[in-house]
Amino acid sequence: MLSKGPAKKVTIYVNEDSHHHLGTLYEAILTFLMHKGVAGATATRALAGFGAHREMHTPNIELLAFHLPIRIEFVESAQKVDELLPTLYDMMSDGLIEVQDTSVIKVAKKEKTVEPKLPHGEKRGPAKLIRVFLGEADRWNGEPLYDAIIKRLRMMDVSGATVYRGILGYGAKGHSHKQSFFHMSRDLPIMISIVESTDKVDAIRTAVENMLTDGLIVISDVEMIRLVQSTAGAANAKG
Amino acid sequence: MRKAKILRLHIGERDLFNGKPLYEAIVKKCYDMNIAGATVFRGLEGYGETAEIHRHHLVTHDQPIIVVVVDAEERINELLPVVESMMDTGMIAVSDVDVIRVQRNVPANTDRK
Repeated sequence: MLSKGPAKKVTIYVNEDSHHHLGTLYEAILTFLMHKGVAGATATRALAGFGAHREMHTPNIELLAFHLPIRIEFVESAQKVDELLPTLYDMMSDGLIEVQDTSVIKVAKKEKTVEPKLPHGEKRGPAKLIRVFLGEADRWNGEPLYDAIIKRLRMMDVSGATVYRGILGYGAKGHSHKQSFFHMSRDLPIMISIVESTDKVDAIRTAVENMLTDGLIVISDVEMIRLVQSTAGAANAKG
Repeated sequence: MRKAKILRLHIGERDLFNGKPLYEAIVKKCYDMNIAGATVFRGLEGYGETAEIHRHHLVTHDQPIIVVVVDAEERINELLPVVESMMDTGMIAVSDVDVIRVQRNVPANTDRK
């Protein structure tokens, strides 16, 4: 299964009418990849192109519209790609295989049936509580800074963060944030609190520090007990 | 990263000090004492010493209030007896923290030391 982090992207160029045994080559490749449990592969038909035969394939000219290029792409772990490449090499009678390094940012999967979730280990023990103090009106590239920080933390796989809005306060800027009836202040104090295991704290700290222009980061030691998410799948796995 | 203390005061929204809301009085006090900063948060629901549930009601508000103050240890120690005398009931919690003050592209003269 594909996971976040470094991976390989394989791009294969074939002609739509290249044959492999009785079927077309691209179909054979896709079938093979699916059979091998590759996370996903996409075949796209090109609009036009030319290859080693120095022949322009384009749909504009009826005569040349017959063997258009097809590009098959898939992303897999280096180990898996290593395992697949010899067979692909063997299958390719005509075309090009190319491998490049890539990094997977997100693997999202919409699942209809409840699949037993990977038991994400119970986290227990010493951890750090990070509190970030900022203002509600602080912006980061046009969006509210607290929103941007939360999104960044989610991308970093931080287990949780909560945004609190204060009702009154002042900070180093010396101005008072206060919501009054007549004057709707939209610059109330905001605090984001994050609890994460000690090894991730530095990464979080740097990320937040780079986004803040004026604010305070407060880190303290805490004892964490994180309850394991109980899904139907997990309950089944236990029972 | 500097060592500092965080002070949390758990009080009620209806607590008063000289006829003014206690949290406002505390923030004012912190400001006057030149404490680096103070922030007031309103909780949604809670209960405390009196075991009376504090939650938002159509006419009466008595939700829990938390005042958070971060400053150097000696400043917190100075502040502690002062706020303690202002509070009737409530809870005070102090813990050790590491502090990073981020300040960029801000005119230096607006910084209150």
